[in-house]
Amino acid sequence: MITNLPEDLYLLVIVALLPLSAIMLTVQVNPYNALVIRGILGAVAALVYSVLGAADVALTEALVGTLLAITLYAVAVRSSLVMRVGVLTAEVEADPEKFEAIYDQIRAMLSTRYLRLKVLSYETRADLDAALTVKELHGLCLRSPSPQPDQPPYELTIRLRSLHDLLSTELPHQTPPLTHLIPPSSTDTPAKSS
Amino acid sequence: MNLLLIAMTLILLIPLYEAWQDDDIWQKMLAFASVASKTSIMILCISVLRDDWMIGVVGVIILSVGNAGFMLLAHLIKRITLQ
Repeated sequence: MITNLPEDLYLLVIVALLPLSAIMLTVQVNPYNALVIRGILGAVAALVYSVLGAADVALTEALVGTLLAITLYAVAVRSSLVMRVGVLTAEVEADPEKFEAIYDQIRAMLSTRYLRLKVLSYETRADLDAALTVKELHGLCLRSPSPQPDQPPYELTIRLRSLHDLLSTELPHQTPPLTHLIPPSSTDTPAKSS
Repeated sequence: MNLLLIAMTLILLIPLYEAWQDDDIWQKMLAFASVASKTSIMILCISVLRDDWMIGVVGVIILSVGNAGFMLLAHLIKRITLQ
């Protein structure tokens, strides 16, 4: 039976790996996992191309398609999937544990959407507002100027509507409640886009 | 030739399955390194069996350059997960 195998059966088996790894790549949800699977797809593609006799295509796929593409995509994903929150240095130094707890709550929510949290400290309130206006920040985390007894002591102002909607589905249900979410207003946010 | 290469392809499916089912990014990276090395070795095998130097050179270049790219990607992911 083994001698009856067609001579180029191994070609079919190797080529079948290519759609298999491509389907694996398309079902990935996490962008970082997708990058690694893209590397696997590149390795399999280089194998298929060289088996089929296209050595130059295989070399290009391995060097450019895999090496350069996944490095550039890793840099792009790393710098884009981030939420930047501005805080005041004096407020953080006054109560660092409370701010760490707030960061942990926000991180827990963002991690379900594969976003990262980046905290930027500013010296004065004017610097903070200027950074929000020039879209350096996506949100502010400040102590409430007029704390209500039924509200948490800190307020989180979000500039983007989509980010606010994402956070507002879960942040009010966090225990203990640390932050009060303030929606983007049309008066002090000049643009709706990011 | 047929049986040898089909056996190698079946062995290549092991890290592919690992990369598909494990959600840990470092396990996926290990599977990626495994797949990259295995495909290069398969290219070298085919070049020897076909007595084709052109494919052999490609296999050697992919084998040597692939590790550099792998280290680059690993460093980027490490910096992401440390933050």
